[in-house]
Amino acid sequence: MDGAIDQRLGVALATEDAEAEVPPLKRNRRGGFVRFAAIGALLIVFVVFAIAAPGFLTRGNLTNVVEQSTVLALLAFGMSIVIIGGGGDVIRGGIDLSLGANLGLCAAVFTVAVNAGLGDATATVLTFAAGASVGLVNAFAVVGLGILPLLATLAVMNICAGLELVLTQNTVLTANSPLLAYIAGATPLGFSLTDWTFLGTALLLLVVVHATPWGLRLQAVGGSVQAARSAGLRVPLYLALSYVSAGLLVALAAIVQAARLSGSSPGSGDILLSVVLTSLMSAVFSRRLLPSIGGTILSVLFIGCLINGFQLLNVSSYWVNGVQGVLILLVVAVRSVSRRSGEV
Amino acid sequence: MTEEALALRDIVKSFGATRALDGASLVVRRGTIHGLIGQNGAGKSTIIKILGGLYQLDAGRILIHGEEPRSVTPRLVEELGVHIIHQEALLVPGLTVAEALFLGNELRHGPLLAPFSMRRRAEAIVRETFGVSLSGNMLISELSAAQRQIVQITRALLNKPRVLVFDEPTAALVRREANRLFDIIRGLRDEGTSIVYISHYLEEVRDLCDVVTILRNGRDVATVDPRTTPMAEIVSLMINRDIHEMFPKQVIPCGKAALTLQSLGKAGAYEDVTFTLHAGEILGLTGLVGSGAKEVLQTAFGLTRHDRGQILIGGKPARIGSPGRAIARRLGLVPEDRRHQGVALDISVRENMTLASLRGLTRFGLIDTRRERGQVMSLIERLGIKTPGPDARLRDLSGGNQQKVVLAKWLSAKSDIYILDEPTVAIDVAAKVEIYRLLGDLVAQGAAVLILSSDLMELQGICDRVLVMYRGRIVRRLVPAETTADEILAAATGALAPLDKAA
Repeated sequence: MDGAIDQRLGVALATEDAEAEVPPLKRNRRGGFVRFAAIGALLIVFVVFAIAAPGFLTRGNLTNVVEQSTVLALLAFGMSIVIIGGGGDVIRGGIDLSLGANLGLCAAVFTVAVNAGLGDATATVLTFAAGASVGLVNAFAVVGLGILPLLATLAVMNICAGLELVLTQNTVLTANSPLLAYIAGATPLGFSLTDWTFLGTALLLLVVVHATPWGLRLQAVGGSVQAARSAGLRVPLYLALSYVSAGLLVALAAIVQAARLSGSSPGSGDILLSVVLTSLMSAVFSRRLLPSIGGTILSVLFIGCLINGFQLLNVSSYWVNGVQGVLILLVVAVRSVSRRSGEV
Repeated sequence: MTEEALALRDIVKSFGATRALDGASLVVRRGTIHGLIGQNGAGKSTIIKILGGLYQLDAGRILIHGEEPRSVTPRLVEELGVHIIHQEALLVPGLTVAEALFLGNELRHGPLLAPFSMRRRAEAIVRETFGVSLSGNMLISELSAAQRQIVQITRALLNKPRVLVFDEPTAALVRREANRLFDIIRGLRDEGTSIVYISHYLEEVRDLCDVVTILRNGRDVATVDPRTTPMAEIVSLMINRDIHEMFPKQVIPCGKAALTLQSLGKAGAYEDVTFTLHAGEILGLTGLVGSGAKEVLQTAFGLTRHDRGQILIGGKPARIGSPGRAIARRLGLVPEDRRHQGVALDISVRENMTLASLRGLTRFGLIDTRRERGQVMSLIERLGIKTPGPDARLRDLSGGNQQKVVLAKWLSAKSDIYILDEPTVAIDVAAKVEIYRLLGDLVAQGAAVLILSSDLMELQGICDRVLVMYRGRIVRRLVPAETTADEILAAATGALAPLDKAA
């Protein structure tokens, strides 16, 4: 008995099993399948519209898809950054529900500022300040007060919506300014400035989030707070920055939107559902089953093609909402299922 | 003074009313491997968490290389060259191996990451240190527990620490990997690194460590040289009692057949499994991973289906298709993965205990709380469960006491047949003894116990019979008094030729 107080088969043995080579590495097949299916669905939608919808494949229409999607894309980038930093858990992880309302607020700030004669430069600064402040408030509520992001940003969403109403009195405000006219009219190298904004932001964020140490650390914070902390990362800083970045992206989106609509109009907050969808959907395009910038670009284009194709096919735009809802359910279901069985 | 790499002196730490550390000291000389052992609850993890800056100490001093840090925070301790490898791998599941290894000290091209060099370096370093190849591009979530542990240890070595603390590093490793780790640890020591090594496996500690400190009840009771101190003495220092008291085996005459498995088969898992579990009997089942023993147990409890053969309960054929039916037939399961399957950590001791027996405690559809409380209190007393009270959250209990609550759940459901899956893994010696005693009481009252275990001493100490499975078949039916640990081992590894269908 002595000498073997805790003799266990697994450790006490030098068996053939234990001496065998490390077992062949098992790949996450499910992740691969999901990614394959998602890209397949994107291609199918594309091909179906290309065949069925007249004019879908023309260059004019495709740039139109990009242009229509730009505001959504910018917001979805913000959402993805917040989810990457806060973690993919839909309930406890990172999420920013205030993005839509913040968009309305920022557009209102810009419009009101221009109409007050403050000039484009000042209006732009004010807009970015507004977007960033909302991000800071979110960051303070989540990081400083430790409120669940889902609840914190829900509250901030209401604050933003209220402030927008105060600024606009719930009316459509038109604004004209050299900047708005320039954004709406200029077509450097044959593409609209809105297209370029989409492209430029997408490239910039692809690099920042997926190819810099900062991005890697942000992913680490989202993946496991404890692991990130034990690697010496300042977790609160990364979390706070993710919300502020989202706020800044919203401000940029607000100016693009103001140019498209020549001002601000109530109801911007409705975009939230699409933003949540695109960002969650981006996860199915990545091997890690987590939101990514690349995945967000693909899902934005997916949704953009859907809406555009429906329009070309004369399907009522009311259907789009329903389809989006179904897609959210699908995406969240895929993620929960693969999470449940994929992780140990 | 500088001889001491690490000196924790007279550390006191209380959590509420419990004093986890009561003046414990740990002094590690430079360039030694210092073992730290003790039962669960002795204060091992508390003292390490204090060293790591995760807990604040109430009293005592910490010196690192003769210096007293102004405050003990994770960052500061790390800067002083102390690195702790925690038991649960602290790695980000969504990162690749390369990213996880270099997180915080990424390789760069200017402001950008250098993913390809990180990947190459990561693969090279893992191969150099562990002699295994691991793709730098795999996700942490795709790795086995052992591979994660390898990444975690490699990561720690990258930081070139002066003091390295291992908390149960071999729990997830197979023999070969563990041996490799021991070589690495010895190499580090020879280069002058000081090592603190915490383990449940006393043999490991004996083979590896230069000095061993034994903790008991929050105090360091002895610091000895493990090579010259008999193992039995170390054990009795740990448990403060003689080792032969560990297995309080009572001999109970076997009663009627409680559970019979007849030629049970399941494709790819096991075949032709036949045995009868009698009332008053503790029947041991053992086998390596993949032997099918675990699947047999799960089938008996209705967690997985069998393809062939039948199950009899009390001599009558029974269909156990689901755990619900198993419970209705008065079976109780104590699963291996206690935290995930056995208990609900965030609800109270009382609720956990009565979860499976609420039907008997309700009046007009509502829970009769007075009766429930009475039953719970008597169970707490009977099982000697150490808890602040019946309404304490289960999370706040030690592992051994949580396991007793799982048993209490089936006791209150008045089960006749208890099926236990590795019931004493990661439980300290004292709690083990209490669980063995409890199982003894159960069979004395006519219950039948089927226990799956890979702890050879446990099998020999408490079972009336031991069935050994190898590659899906029962290869040996042994009686502990007539067998040795070596024979059980040999049968489980297939070193013995399988017998023909034995009795």
